[in-house]
Amino acid sequence: MQETELHDLSDDADYAASQLQGSASMMRSDSISKQSSSSDSDGAEIVYSKDNVTIHPTQFASERIGGRLKLIKQGSSLFMSWIPYKGQSSNARVSEKDRNLYTIRAVPFTEVRSIRRHTPALGWQYIIVVLSSGLAFPPLYFYNGGVKEFLATIKQHVFIVRSSEDANAFLVNDFQNPLQKTLSSLELPRAVSVAIEPSTSFSAGESPSNENQQRIDGGFHNESSSISQYNAKQRQKVHDPRDLSIQVLEKFSLVTKFARETTSQLFRESHGNGYGAIERRNHDQSYFDYPERVSSVKENVPDEIPVPSDPLEDHLIQASILVKQKISCLKHNHVEEAATNLGTFELISCKEVDKLTLVWGKPRQPPLGSEEWFTFLDSEGRIVDSKALRRRVFYGGVEHGLRKEVWALLLGYHSFDSTYAEREYLRSIKKSEYETIKIQWQSISPEQAKRFTKFRERKGLIEKDVVRTDRSFSFYDGDDNTNVNLLRDILLTYSFYNFDLGYCQGMSDLLSPILFVMEDESESFWCFVALMERLGPNFNRDQNGMHSQLFALCKLVELLDSPLHNYFKQNDCLNYFFCFRWILIQFKREFEYEKTMRLWEVLWTHYLSEHLHLYVCVAILKRYRNKIMGEQMDFDPLLKFINELSGRIDLDSILRDAEALCICAGENGAACIPPGTHLHCLLMVYYCTLNKMTSCKCGPDSGHDVFVLKSIGRYLQLLCFVIAGFSKPSY
Amino acid sequence: MPSRRRTLLKVIILGDSGVGKTSLMNQYVNRKFSNQYKATIGADFLTKEVQFEDRLFTLQIWDTAGQERFQSLGVAFYRGADCCVLVYDVNSMKSFDNLNNWREEFLIQASPSDPENFPFVVLGNKIDVDSGNSRVVSEKKARAWCASKGNIPYFETSAKEGINVEEAFQCIAKNALKSGEEEEIYLPDTIDVASSSQQRSTGCEC
Repeated sequence: MQETELHDLSDDADYAASQLQGSASMMRSDSISKQSSSSDSDGAEIVYSKDNVTIHPTQFASERIGGRLKLIKQGSSLFMSWIPYKGQSSNARVSEKDRNLYTIRAVPFTEVRSIRRHTPALGWQYIIVVLSSGLAFPPLYFYNGGVKEFLATIKQHVFIVRSSEDANAFLVNDFQNPLQKTLSSLELPRAVSVAIEPSTSFSAGESPSNENQQRIDGGFHNESSSISQYNAKQRQKVHDPRDLSIQVLEKFSLVTKFARETTSQLFRESHGNGYGAIERRNHDQSYFDYPERVSSVKENVPDEIPVPSDPLEDHLIQASILVKQKISCLKHNHVEEAATNLGTFELISCKEVDKLTLVWGKPRQPPLGSEEWFTFLDSEGRIVDSKALRRRVFYGGVEHGLRKEVWALLLGYHSFDSTYAEREYLRSIKKSEYETIKIQWQSISPEQAKRFTKFRERKGLIEKDVVRTDRSFSFYDGDDNTNVNLLRDILLTYSFYNFDLGYCQGMSDLLSPILFVMEDESESFWCFVALMERLGPNFNRDQNGMHSQLFALCKLVELLDSPLHNYFKQNDCLNYFFCFRWILIQFKREFEYEKTMRLWEVLWTHYLSEHLHLYVCVAILKRYRNKIMGEQMDFDPLLKFINELSGRIDLDSILRDAEALCICAGENGAACIPPGTHLHCLLMVYYCTLNKMTSCKCGPDSGHDVFVLKSIGRYLQLLCFVIAGFSKPSY
Repeated sequence: MPSRRRTLLKVIILGDSGVGKTSLMNQYVNRKFSNQYKATIGADFLTKEVQFEDRLFTLQIWDTAGQERFQSLGVAFYRGADCCVLVYDVNSMKSFDNLNNWREEFLIQASPSDPENFPFVVLGNKIDVDSGNSRVVSEKKARAWCASKGNIPYFETSAKEGINVEEAFQCIAKNALKSGEEEEIYLPDTIDVASSSQQRSTGCEC
């Protein structure tokens, strides 16, 4: 079948001309293929066909994908298709997957909104096709010319008008609106969700792995090329608002590409076999695609309840485009343009671009080791830059051997600016203080205890719980385990230290890792005291601490995933009691022991937020949102599902999600932010980008590259703003 | 939703911390005992298919945290319950004394349509401990309390040894089913709910 995909171009005058040009980047098509007939048994007629119409997924010539653009008339309808060539063995870097991603299968012109022709002084002519959904295809470069003919052919079959505002823009199915209005009416989120739509039905079986994450991150690598090229070409006319709108259009096309890639990845990950089937279908398909085939591909999609897409994900995709633009501008400082007889080549030095990994949080780092640890200390043991240390721990945690020291600092038992000597001194003071409190209950005689019901009950409760706390973990296993006794003593002492709060179930879960790390009764006690300073309200008798956190979680989900929030609302799940265990004991039952310790030290840094645990909740819920909604879980199955996630959650990817969510929500969540702040910030980023500044620090935490994300909520407004033709703000 | 009522029977297990709620549930559903169960945080449930007179039901058994402090959560978990199991430890007077609190708290939070006749079952657990020598609550005392609360069915169990667990849950399921059927019958009759009180069987035959 593959043979039929190849092309006989010998009769194509343009092809012959291009061969003379000897372009290295051009697609080789050296096999014989069936000549496309001009008519077909289905009544479909090819009214236009052009070879070597190519897209540029990246700046690398080797990754360009050549294909054949066709206009097909069937009945009174006109369709456009672009099918990439197959079997270009010389193009090892272009995978089959990429080709499938970009393939345009018989799009009816009723769905096309506009076509814009670009005629750069150097290089190939290209067009950008925007669909009425707002979606845009990647720029199609006509290596062999033929844009004019393409437009003329369309004109013969479809109502198409030249925009009164832009001589190079052609509006389809639009009888009155000038381009400006057309553009500003594009709804970006809708555009993206259209592109993403198929994926939403596929992710029901998603795994807790972080593969998805990495692939999505990896997916960003390829996007900057076309933009950098455009920037090069449009450097001189960047102040023209019309060009801005064109750039926005081009960004749409990147959105399309990214969304398709994401879709395909999700598709493949969750339905390995299903995807293979579609790939095979693509192989089997003749290069001539009928609209009917499109619908048959759709039928392959499993029948499931449609799930509303994740609005934040949509926005993140858009933000990534902006970020990529920034990267491409960074790159541009190192671009040399070499004009050849073929056009413009860009030689790019990439030394700056690799560190920018943005959208779904930074990659996790290895835990802080002792060598690095000492770089945070001055000669007397003070932490020189506590924020840097917290940041480091936030992104990687600490090696187990260092926990004893670092936890005491993170929890606030020792202060960051204390010296070795001061910490040692505090230890000895606190040790005797602990003994003093401990003796309060140790000195209660059996006779006294008989008349001290509260003490007996408290002791009984603690004794019941310590013998069922982490007993399968070696540190606490076996009969007459001394560590279990230490748990009991510390908890009982705490219930005297904080008699009002007393003992509450869950406390033994919180103390267990602390004792395991500190390996010292008094030190464990004081670290536990410090932890309870933070978590104490969780255990209040009236449960207000828990209720207010569950309420905050509800608000966060509403902010970060309103479809999920609405789903919970409809299903009477807004009390979020299914997250009760997560919050009460900081996910202690959800992860294995080592992972729990890792999570805790990250939470305790309070680096991005002291409420990171709530963002972890949101991250987990969002990770399983499609399953939850797709399977229409109401409260009971949801609680069961959440309880059974225990031990199956991938910590690193959830932390990355939580980080990103925290940053996204951070300022959006705070009602006190004056309106327009984000717009201001984003416009600045945008214009910095246009002006090719290498850095632009507008986030409060300028060390963080994710500042662009802060503006996501306003991204849409920005686009409308820019598209509407506002002139450049004066910065 | 009569159809739901007919197939799903929701049972809530309440009682002080450490009386063996999780163990009873697991013994009944999985026929297993472990002394490594952790203290229940929040709530969880297990389901088991049960058959009555050629009809198949799903018994959904809810296990909740035993500490009083968590009682305010009950409102989310208790609703729609068809039967409530009150568990105490025969070796702990306190856990027995608290049965009344658990019962009243349940009726407040679950607010069943007919609280007077809502089916409870009481289980005195851990009868195996120390061969009964450490027992502090006598069977007589327990039965007297059950009789005073409208002839609540009573079982003495050992989740560890699996003693009486199956029988107790048979009774629980039967009472839950009865409760469901009554709601099916009486719920549409919105005018006269209160007068139906004498309809319910006052004990468990089994």
